[in-house]
Formats: sequence, C-alpha cells, structure tokens
Amino acid sequence: MDQILNVLVFGILLGGIYGLVSIGLNLIFGVVRIVNFAQGELVMFGMYGSYYGYAFLGLNPYLSVLVVAPLVGLLGMAIQRLVIQPLRDEPNMQIFATFGLLIMFQNIMLALSRGEAFSIGGQVGAEVLTVGDLKISVVRLVTLVATTLITIGLHLFLSRTMAGKAIRAVTQDKRAARVMGINVERTFLITFGIGAALAGMAGALLTPIYSITPAVGGNFILAAFAVVVLGGLGSVWGAYIGGLIVGVVEAFAGYYIDPALKNAIWFIIFLIVLIVRPSGLLGQVGAEEVGFREQS
Amino acid sequence: MTMLKKIAGIVLMTGACALTQAAYAQQAIKIGVINPFSGPLALYGGEMTRGFELAVDQANAAGGLLGRRIELVRGDASNPQQGIATVEQLVTKDKVDMFTGTYISAVANSASDAAARYNKLYWETGGVARDLTERGLPNFVRSGAYAVSFAARSVDTVRDLIAPSLKKDMKDLKVWIEHEDSIYGTSIAEVQKRMLEAFGTKVVGVGSHSFRSIDLNDTVLRAKQANPDVLIQTGYVPDGNLLLRTAREQGFKPAAILLVGTGDTSETLESVGAASLEGVLMVGWPRTDVAESYGPGAKAFLAAYRAKYKADPIAPQSMAGYVGLQILFDTIKAAGSIDLEKMRAAAAKLDKPEGTYATGFGVKFDKNFQNLRASPNTGQWQSGKMVTVFPKQAVPAGVTLRSLARN
Repeated sequence: MDQILNVLVFGILLGGIYGLVSIGLNLIFGVVRIVNFAQGELVMFGMYGSYYGYAFLGLNPYLSVLVVAPLVGLLGMAIQRLVIQPLRDEPNMQIFATFGLLIMFQNIMLALSRGEAFSIGGQVGAEVLTVGDLKISVVRLVTLVATTLITIGLHLFLSRTMAGKAIRAVTQDKRAARVMGINVERTFLITFGIGAALAGMAGALLTPIYSITPAVGGNFILAAFAVVVLGGLGSVWGAYIGGLIVGVVEAFAGYYIDPALKNAIWFIIFLIVLIVRPSGLLGQVGAEEVGFREQS
Repeated sequence: MTMLKKIAGIVLMTGACALTQAAYAQQAIKIGVINPFSGPLALYGGEMTRGFELAVDQANAAGGLLGRRIELVRGDASNPQQGIATVEQLVTKDKVDMFTGTYISAVANSASDAAARYNKLYWETGGVARDLTERGLPNFVRSGAYAVSFAARSVDTVRDLIAPSLKKDMKDLKVWIEHEDSIYGTSIAEVQKRMLEAFGTKVVGVGSHSFRSIDLNDTVLRAKQANPDVLIQTGYVPDGNLLLRTAREQGFKPAAILLVGTGDTSETLESVGAASLEGVLMVGWPRTDVAESYGPGAKAFLAAYRAKYKADPIAPQSMAGYVGLQILFDTIKAAGSIDLEKMRAAAAKLDKPEGTYATGFGVKFDKNFQNLRASPNTGQWQSGKMVTVFPKQAVPAGVTLRSLARN
C-alpha cells in the first residue's frame, strides 16, 4: 500500500504524455472531422527533428520545439490543402489517404535512417527529483507542465481570439458558420496546421524519453484516439483530463493487477464511457454526430 | 580483308563470351533471402543480409559452388502473410533454388512452411523461436543459435559469472525474469525459469510487457519491490532501453543486470548512456571482438565488412548470417548437389568442432536439424563499449570482467 502515492505520481506523469500527444489529434479529429491516422507520424517527425537538431546543431531539445513545431505545422497545412481538401466529398477516401500518408512517412524515415533507433537520452534527461520516497523524472515533469500550459493556451486561443471562435463555430455547425461569413476551408487549414504543430511539439518534448524509430508514432496513436474519444471530441480540456485518467488507470492496473492487462482495463473503461456518454466526458452532447449530420 | 576477318573474329569472340557468360548466369545458384527490408525491423534484416552478401562474395571469388555462381535474391517480409507471398513470388518468378533468413521468427515459421510446399530448402540463420525446428519440417535446417541456447547461455552466465562475482551460492540468489510478451521473449523466459529453478535459484517474479510499451514504471516498481539480486531482461531495443532508463529513474539497482537478445548496440548506448550501462551484461550473437582462437576469421570478417560497407557492423547479426551461409556452402560442397534430400543428408553428417567458424560455432545437427554447436556469447558494457566476457575461451586478450554494480 505504501506505493500508492508513487503509482499515482507516475500515472499522472504518464497522463501528461498521453494528453500531450492527444491535444493535436483532438483538434483535427474534433474540428476537421478527419480520422488522421498519420498523426502519430507527425509526432515521429517532431522527434526526428528534435533529434537531428541536437545531434547536428547541438540544439537543446526543448529549444528545438520553436523550429520543429512550426515546420510540422506547415506540413500539416500542406496535408490539409493537398490531400484532405481535394477529397472533402469522400470522407472514406480521406481516411484511406491519411493511412497512405502514415505508410509513406514511416518509409521515408526508414530510408533516411536505415531504421536505426536514435536516442539522446544518454546525454540529456537523466535528472530525477527525489521527494521523500518519490522519484520524479524531470523530463516527464516538464512534459506534464508543458501539456498543462499548452492546454491553457489553446483554451484561451479558442475562447478569446476570432480565429479560435471561428474554429469553434465550424466545430459546432459548418453550414451555419459558412453562412455567417466564416471561411470554412481556411479555418480547416489553420486547425490542421495547429493540430500538426502540436503533434510536432509533442514529439520534440518526448525526444529525451524514448528511442526514436520510424514506427514510434504507432505506439502512441491508439491510446491517443482513445483519450480523444474518452475526453470528448473537440474539447481541449477533454484531451487533458482524458489523458490523465488513462495514465492513472494504466499505472494502477499495471502495478496492482498485471502489466499485461493494463490496456484491456482502460479499454473497458473507454467502452463504458462510450456507452453511457457517447460524446465523451467533456464533449458537447451531440458533438459526435455533427460530422455525420452534415457531409457537404 | 584481313581487317574484316579481324573484326569478324572479335565480333564472334565477344558473342561467344556473352554466351558463356549467359550460360554461367543461367546456372547461378539462386538463394532467396527472406527478411524485413522495410518496416520497424528493417535495420536488422538488412544487417543480417549484409553478412549473407559477404559470404556470397567470398564464395564467388573462390570460384563459386559446384562450378556455379551464387546469387542472392531479396524478398521483403515483415509479417507472416508477407512471408508466404514473398516465398511464392521468389519461387515462381525468380526461380530461386533455396531460401535463407530470417530476423523475425514468426516470418520464418510461415515462410519455411510455404517453401516446404515447393520442396525448397529453408536454411535458417537468425530466427530463434524454439518451435521452428521442433515442428520437424522436412525442408528446415537451423545453423544458428535458438531460444534454448540463449536461455542456457543466460543461466550459465548467472551461474559462472554473476553468482561468483556477487559471492553468492546459486541457491541464495534471487532473480527477476522480465521479458517482452511475444513468442520470442516468452519462450526464452520459460526455459530460463525452469533452468534457474533446477539450480535452486529463487525466481522472485516473472514480468512481461509489450515491446511497444510507452511506460514501464509499473513493471519496474513490481520488480523493485521483489528486491532481486539479478534482473534478466529479454526483449527488443526500444523496450530494453525504456526498462533501463525507468530502472535508473526509480532508483532500482539490482546487483546485476543481464540483457538477453538485444542491448549491445549504439542504440542502447545512446539511450541509456555509458555511465548507467557500465557493468551491464548482455547475451547475444557472438561479436567480432571474440578471441581469434575461439572464432577464427572474426577479424577477417570485420575487415571485409568495413571494406564493403565503409562502416562497422551495426549489430552482430551480420556475422551470424555470414557464418550461417558458410555452413550452408560447406553443406552443398559435401552434398555435391543442391537437391533438398541430398543437402539434408549431407548436413546430418557434418561434424565440426566448436571454434570452426568466426562466431565460434561448430556444426552438429540434431534430428530436427537444429545445430547444437551454435551458442550466443555474453558481453559486458565497459566504458561505453561492449566486450566479450564469457565463455572464457571467447574472451579477447587483456579483457577482464568489471564490477557488475552500477552507479
């Protein structure tokens, strides 16, 4: 029982990681209504960007966020403009297209790196805070703080700025938003760009923790989709809270029950939430249907 | 006129040369290479194949086999379904005579099964899952080490290296066995547990995790609570790295850490750092630093590798592949044929002592065509370098075991 606090702490820190990779996905999934399978690969690009910045330019991985996130954001805008938008009348094809991007991105990195796993963890990110019996990894703590700040920032952006309000309007009703003079295509472009930039940022922030391979994005993506649906489509705080819930449940299930069962346990919780509250914990009721109600 | 004759002569001769060349090429012995050349494990598939290429280059330079040139044909397979499809394609389209591979055991399983339907030899140099040979497939031969030899070597290491170093009897030693949860890690962990318990060693826990895990705090905390002297981890690179990093963060410092399968490359060094790795032991494919008396030709292999690829081997799988094909070529020479039955009959008769090949392997196949004289080695991380420390005969001159305790 003496481990409860320890398990809670690493569960929350893990939740920070889940929240971080889910925020961008939530924006794209919740607003543009695209199931972006390639989101994990955008995280992967962020990781490689940060790695190469460190390896070749000696750039601090946290500083590299400033370069990497905008670049991945531009890539996201290109994807929206060149792949998603031309397919806007064919939602199924959009899904296949993002899957195609996933395969393409993975293999591009494979060709560039021969698939060798890269890490910078041997040089940075080894610091541990010791509070009593608790051991807190500093890089994970930084990740949690960053996730919190990003969530607050995104919340302010969506509630206080015109661009943010436009995004929310489009989320709620695309047709009405268009009637009100909002440029829906441009809003999508901005949203995809921000969502992708957040994925790139997540990748850069996680670089000190993980071994980077072309397939690393896939490790996060299933959990991220679950977090987004659990927290609520299009809800910024939903991704944050959803991430924390999944992290803590996983930690407790893994430590007290069996590490082999932890995924099964939080997927059961995920299913229960879907049945009881299909819009997710913090999602607007009915939000999950908007994309289907209005296809044009 | 004479000029014309000369020209005609030259033309005829060139034509004749082209014809002989064509005949030579037609007669090439074609070996299909089943490995992942795309996807997350492509690095190791490619690395093993580099070893194959070096063995083939060497054999061709020495005049080929049975008077024929040897040619490798790559077939990309990262999952069992691709394994089957690739074998079918290589047989029907490329007309290969036999197969070799395979970094992924699950692919070896389905691909060799498919090759059996075409009556083609499947010469395994890499896949370690136990059931590959125990199926008793009529076309399957494994020249390399397998799960049981990996488990046995890890238990030998605990008995002959770790226990004396910690000044403990095997009966007083507490071990935590951790493994990734596919057939590869699971099959090795099962044998480790059985063998350790046969020595009276206390296995205080067995934990499993996915190699794609993004958090291993729960696993590490469970192991830490059990307070073992030795942590044995069998897995792939990403999970092994994450486990070591998490153990460090959680202040989990068992007296000895023994990695099995992976953890001997720069990928682990970069992730964990030389200081945290100092003293960590690792059971893996024999490395090029082995004593020349143990692995004759290891240094020559390294030189050939550097000459061809302008780099050092990324992982020891290349030398295992190289030796695997050398054993295959020796088998073909002994058989004097590439007929499946004749090759298997010749393989069954091969009897070469350990220390014949660069990896220290010898050859003696059991009834399921598992080479019983192929074992992995144990290395230790010393100042950011992996050096061979076990078995004794393999240890290079001047190398001694360093303290197993880490910072």
